[in-house]
Amino acid sequence: MSAAAAPAAAATPVVRIEGLGMVYPGGVRALAGIDLEVHEGEFLAVLGLSGSGKSTLLRCINRLVDPSEGRVWIFDREVTRLRGGELRRLRRQVAMIFQQFNLVRRHTVLDNVLSGSLGRSRLLPSLVMSFPPAERARALESLARVGLADRAGSRADALSGGQQQRVAVARALMQEPRLILADEPVASLDPALRHSVMRHIEALNRDEGLTVICSLHDIDLVERYATRLVALRDGRLVWQGLPSEFDRATFRSIYGEDAEPASNTGF
Amino acid sequence: MARREPAADTTWRASVESLQAGAIDAVLIAILLAMGELLVVAFSGRRGPTGLLLGAEQILDLLSYGRWLGAGIALAALWALGARWLGASPGQALVRGVPEGERDLAWTETLRGWFAAVFIELTFFAGWLITELDLVAFLTKFGKAADIVRGLAQPSTSVLHEGLILLVQTVFLAFMATAFAIPIAFVLAFPSARNLTRGSTLARLAYTVSRTLMNFVRAVEPLVWALIFISWVGIGPFAGVLALWVHSVASLTKLYSEQIESIDTGPMDAITATGASTLQVLRYGVVPQVIPPFLSFTIYRWDINVRMSTIIGFVGGGGIGYILKPRVDLGEWGEVGTLVLLIAATVWLMDLISAKIRERIV
Ligand SMILES: Nc1ncnc2c1ncn2[C@@H]1O[C@H](COP(=O)(O)OP(=O)(O)O)[C@@H](O)[C@H]1O
Ligand SMILES: [Mg+2]
Repeated sequence: MSAAAAPAAAATPVVRIEGLGMVYPGGVRALAGIDLEVHEGEFLAVLGLSGSGKSTLLRCINRLVDPSEGRVWIFDREVTRLRGGELRRLRRQVAMIFQQFNLVRRHTVLDNVLSGSLGRSRLLPSLVMSFPPAERARALESLARVGLADRAGSRADALSGGQQQRVAVARALMQEPRLILADEPVASLDPALRHSVMRHIEALNRDEGLTVICSLHDIDLVERYATRLVALRDGRLVWQGLPSEFDRATFRSIYGEDAEPASNTGF
Repeated sequence: MARREPAADTTWRASVESLQAGAIDAVLIAILLAMGELLVVAFSGRRGPTGLLLGAEQILDLLSYGRWLGAGIALAALWALGARWLGASPGQALVRGVPEGERDLAWTETLRGWFAAVFIELTFFAGWLITELDLVAFLTKFGKAADIVRGLAQPSTSVLHEGLILLVQTVFLAFMATAFAIPIAFVLAFPSARNLTRGSTLARLAYTVSRTLMNFVRAVEPLVWALIFISWVGIGPFAGVLALWVHSVASLTKLYSEQIESIDTGPMDAITATGASTLQVLRYGVVPQVIPPFLSFTIYRWDINVRMSTIIGFVGGGGIGYILKPRVDLGEWGEVGTLVLLIAATVWLMDLISAKIRERIV
């Protein structure tokens, strides 16, 4: 599917970033002079040490933080100019997955998935948590996709970390987005469970043709899932390329001269 | 994004801080001087118009406040000018923190330390004189109070029936005040939470207004509210409900909003990212996290209101306090004993129940 979409997509990038910079109140500079384009169907991995600005970059794209400099376009709309209702409508097309899952812990798994449809729900029914049957069916279907249909009625905090993150993936799917931002989606999971979550994000990218921007810590995961990667260091974009071009020298240039890859696979 | 001019900003802050520090110093020094004079006057052996030694009020009346305030301002200014040699003044230490170089010094090595020591010392002596502490009376004149204690120990049954009925009224009075306070405090808690009101100027304004208003309402004692409402709706339990209600709204708003300020913002971010509107973000990202602590605070508030309604009854706000007051005035200590025991038992029971429920919720 992504192969078919590629020629048309080459013209309009899904995300275009120009001169993006961010200084947090208090004076910490998190990003400087970022230029970047992400194309339809890509799985872009964002690498960098912690504190290098990965989360800030992702949050500037859907405006969870307001960048101090530069401009961001999504599907040719300038996000950095949108306000109120326009911004909310654009956010519907951009799902986000977080390192800490960020589920509503006291709600059921199903209600958490349903919250992915809030952007298109009617206000008053949604405030009493009443959703149309069609949405409930879709939510159950999303849950089935991540293999958790049988846990629909459980409270979210009764699930294991890996399961919670799969609920978050189902919530993202429920949103019917065109772009997924994933901020270290497996960093707080047991290494053995990482693929169980990454596989589902990969499926969204491969089967649904969704564009994914995903920050990752682990080089193994990058090589296995990403179609392209960019690296941040101290808030600047220091490298971009294909997974096959990523070698030990590049690794050192991103992580510093003293760094060693955590495992030997891939080099 | 707020972009401030750093230079102008820091000089502005520095001068505001010096003013604050100077004002604190001037007041502290003036108080110290006045307390010194108070000791001098008290021990001068002067006698008042009745031929007795001066009473506390007469001593306080004699002090020269204006002069000491002037001296305080002058000395504070001197200390500010000479801070390099004298060390940081108390005001400077409070406003800006203790400077780097003075942190390791013992209190005996700084002027500020000696100032604090003398100040605390004088506060005790002055306090002793001003509140007319009388150890002799305390230790030798127990006789009359003993009657009361004896009465409390022999409760009379004559007031038991009426007491029980008014006890029920007390509990319901507290319940209604709490129940009416919940919806209002719930709505006010959101604009009173710092973390939800950073977004726009309007939100920050709402924060300032509701916080200021609630702080003011809370600062006025329920007893005063009771007096206000008694002259409004007349003596009786309804005035008590209104008094406790106003106070409960303010204090629940504060407790609720502090709870909102301590939530995990992750779920809020997640719901915002779905394109949800502000109300939906509050409903899904905030409310589920704060409901259990809200319930717990509310039950605790009911408990407090039961206790407070006793005192409110003293001035005519209904409940058991209403019949307690005349019996205290008439010295019917047996009946007072019965009522006090009833109140104690209820408060103890409420305490027990509310603790159990809160344990379950959190
Ligand atoms: N809300 C915030 N307020 C102030 N500084 C922040 C905030 N969030 C992140 N930072 C700072 O911005 C820099 C980049 O952080 P972040 O984007 O979280 O990096 P990463 O996700 O790569 O670990 C860090 O120095 C961090 O301390
Ligand atoms: Mg991060």
